[in-house]
Amino acid sequence: MKHMPQPSLLASGLLLALTIAPTAFAQSGAQDSAPVIRNRSIAYVMTMEEWAMHKTPGAKAECPNGMNEGPREQFKVLFPENGPKRTVVGTQLAREAQVYFPTPETENMPFREAVGPVVPGINLDGKVDADDFTSPDGVKGIDNQFFRVIGCVSSYRDVAALMVTKWRVDNSFNRVVIELTDVDDLGSDNDVTVTTYRGLSAMLPDATGSGYMPGASQKLDMRFGKDFISSFKGKIVDGVLITEPGDYLMPYQALANVSTLLFRGLKFEVRLSQDSAEGYMGGYLDIASWYAQRQQSISTHHQSYGQESSPTVYKALTRLADGYPDQAGHNTAISGALHVRFTQVFVDHPTRATAQAGGAAAPANR
Amino acid sequence: MLLRHFLSRTFLSQSFISAGAATAMALALASCSQPSTEGRVAVTGPAAPSISSVSSERRLRLMTSAQYLNTLAYVFGPNVRPDARFAPLQRTDGLLSVGTSIAGVTAGQMEVYQKTAASVAAQVVNAENRKFLIPCAPKSETARDDECARVFLKKVSRLLYRRPLDDKRLDEWVAQAGAGAERLKDFYTGLGSALEGMLFNPQVLLISERLEADPKTPGAMRLDSYALAARLSFFLWDAAPDDLLLKAAEKGELQTEKGLAASVDRMLASSRLEFGVRAFFDDMLQFDLFDTLAKDGSIYPNFTATTVLDAREQTLRTIVDQLIIKKRDYRDLFTTRETFLSPSLAALYRIPTTGGWVPYEFPADNPRMGMLTQISFLAGHAHPGRSSATLRGKALRELLLCQPVPRPPANVDFSAVENPKSTHRTARDRVTAHLSNPVCAGCHKITDPIGLALENFDGAGRYRTTERGSPIDASGNLDGKAFTDVTGLAAALHDHPALTTCVVKRAYAYGTGGPADANNRATLESLDKSFAAGGYRIPGLLRAVATSKAFSQITTTPTATADASAAGGVAK
Repeated sequence: MKHMPQPSLLASGLLLALTIAPTAFAQSGAQDSAPVIRNRSIAYVMTMEEWAMHKTPGAKAECPNGMNEGPREQFKVLFPENGPKRTVVGTQLAREAQVYFPTPETENMPFREAVGPVVPGINLDGKVDADDFTSPDGVKGIDNQFFRVIGCVSSYRDVAALMVTKWRVDNSFNRVVIELTDVDDLGSDNDVTVTTYRGLSAMLPDATGSGYMPGASQKLDMRFGKDFISSFKGKIVDGVLITEPGDYLMPYQALANVSTLLFRGLKFEVRLSQDSAEGYMGGYLDIASWYAQRQQSISTHHQSYGQESSPTVYKALTRLADGYPDQAGHNTAISGALHVRFTQVFVDHPTRATAQAGGAAAPANR
Repeated sequence: MLLRHFLSRTFLSQSFISAGAATAMALALASCSQPSTEGRVAVTGPAAPSISSVSSERRLRLMTSAQYLNTLAYVFGPNVRPDARFAPLQRTDGLLSVGTSIAGVTAGQMEVYQKTAASVAAQVVNAENRKFLIPCAPKSETARDDECARVFLKKVSRLLYRRPLDDKRLDEWVAQAGAGAERLKDFYTGLGSALEGMLFNPQVLLISERLEADPKTPGAMRLDSYALAARLSFFLWDAAPDDLLLKAAEKGELQTEKGLAASVDRMLASSRLEFGVRAFFDDMLQFDLFDTLAKDGSIYPNFTATTVLDAREQTLRTIVDQLIIKKRDYRDLFTTRETFLSPSLAALYRIPTTGGWVPYEFPADNPRMGMLTQISFLAGHAHPGRSSATLRGKALRELLLCQPVPRPPANVDFSAVENPKSTHRTARDRVTAHLSNPVCAGCHKITDPIGLALENFDGAGRYRTTERGSPIDASGNLDGKAFTDVTGLAAALHDHPALTTCVVKRAYAYGTGGPADANNRATLESLDKSFAAGGYRIPGLLRAVATSKAFSQITTTPTATADASAAGGVAK
């Protein structure tokens, strides 16, 4: 776990897109009247997230056996129309019970795993194992077994990914802010600290409709958001932030229901600029946390739209889990990564009096 | 239809004074080599003030949507607020308020007025609002009740018409309410129909000014008390007179020096003064341009629709704070580092903020200093995709110094400044190339040395030190006063004599509703002196204008005026 992998983002073509192409006759060279790194700190707010996946047109490469079937398709197989007379309790409700109380042993529906070999993410354990992937820019040992679970489930591709980003920016519950402190140089720094927070302020969309304004401010939630505060030691190598692993509870509201997502051993590999940041947050997803979040956020009828059958997915999760074994030796977490984008913000730490009134003080490293 | 036609049925006895003819008299600009001073140059030599030189003209003005809404807010409370968007007005002699005297009213506009009136009337008589907006209850809600209708209509008509209605006209409105109640078997619906008619009445929508002989000056005319109350109220509050001002008019107090001063002082002390001051500067600074301002999102992604709204608001908040609340010197508006920030503007300025509108002071080493460095001026007077030294220089001349800049020749060649593949890297390089054409050079000398001092700010108002990789030279010259950067420009503007005479001229024209020109020389000179003696404080200027003889005394001889807006403009 302590091994730091080669920064997989350094050569990433994806991140080259962060460079702003000069527009004809645009007023290039614009400089702000104040630096964005103040008191050796810079902060960003998350504006996009999607599960790190390798996606090809029609999913032909990563899903050679096709896409998975969802609750409605499975229901027709389990309970064909020409079968015996059945009850609601014995069919719909029985299947719904399996959604909320899944057991890998009783689930027998087929599942189609996604396959590599090229998948983005982070080498979490510093090893190159047989079931690891290679990143698009050639880094080996990528730990992303979660991709095998969701890669061929429609819910997690394209439109669904857009929905997740919409929830991320629309709901203040989901506002993820990271603050880098002890920063001397955004291009290279051997010792920085990353602290996660939940922000409370609205996002400011830019004039393009697809981005957000750097330089906005975010008030930090030091009261109800204290569970989302985590600190990571890290360094900046050639403009890429790389952190040591740490646990992180991520606010995760979808639709109307609030829920959270627990990452164990999360690492950041994010390319930084004065305006934005983009890269990966990778770690071991706590399966119980992830599954509960999924059911609280997305009901069966919504999952049906994306052919996502939770009992079948759960079985795959437990089978492919690769970290944090329990006392019985069963892995309780699965490696995965989020592809994330951030926009620079200034953070407004509540005053000491406010923090005390709210029951949470600013972290000691500030 | 033209306003005068619209009025013909209602205002046959009230002459419509010469405004249309006035606009035809455009001021001829003698030369591009020196900026004009809008007419005052034509008047030479001392002369005893005649009646016409210390009086203003009688006006008939179309109420603006803001004035209509402000009036409704006073009469019916802030909850009754229709979506009133009246047609744009024609800017005349630098002011929309002057344009209200020559506005036309189309059939489409009439429909807007009618719909607005219907909306307001419905809100006033609805079950929720009638309890506190109608001071009596009918004997039966399904029948007419002339007594109750009269109580309500008498009260609101006095405020809406800005004078008491005579009994005959009031009887007609009561009869209309009663007929509606009988026909619809609903007292409130009938009352609403009468109120709708009143709100849509030309005598409400049009601010007409009635005259009477001035007993203090034989042969002269003056506004009658109610007309003076209206002129005062629309000037200082951007709304119709309140109950107290109408009472002062009823008692004749406004026609005495002491009474007029007391009413003006009360209005200046009211929180409603903010509405008037915001409206005046919104007009003077031509902030209606923000209604259509847009930037190229691919070039300025951080300039959003919210930025447009907030940029206007930032400057107006700064003006109110500096000039009304803190009562600072008007000239300091152009050098102060104090302002207000919204979240959207803070992001554009790249300044941390705590949310909402908050006061902010730029540090002493920051290039932001004064109104010229606010987004409203910088982005408002620039192109959608680039800055413009010419537009900014022209705006400074015309808006702040009252110096019209001539239009460019019809055959001007803009290629040197508009070619996106130009080898000229900075605006100064491009303008210099453009000035190689002697036809253009004459006028650009008026604008560009000022505008180039603002080149450290791009078309969206963001600070920069380079353009296309080349360092920006922000040095310049304002009428002989050289400077090296925008702070020098701010200081030069602060001390420019035309800065204060311009706001005096605008305030007088705004208050009286007509162009201020050579005919008003004596009044303007007096106001200039008063403004200087008072330390260039805007409340003092407003008081001086409102209590001046010219504000209430009316000339009976139409005068020629200049239409600066028709004469202005150069290459952009």
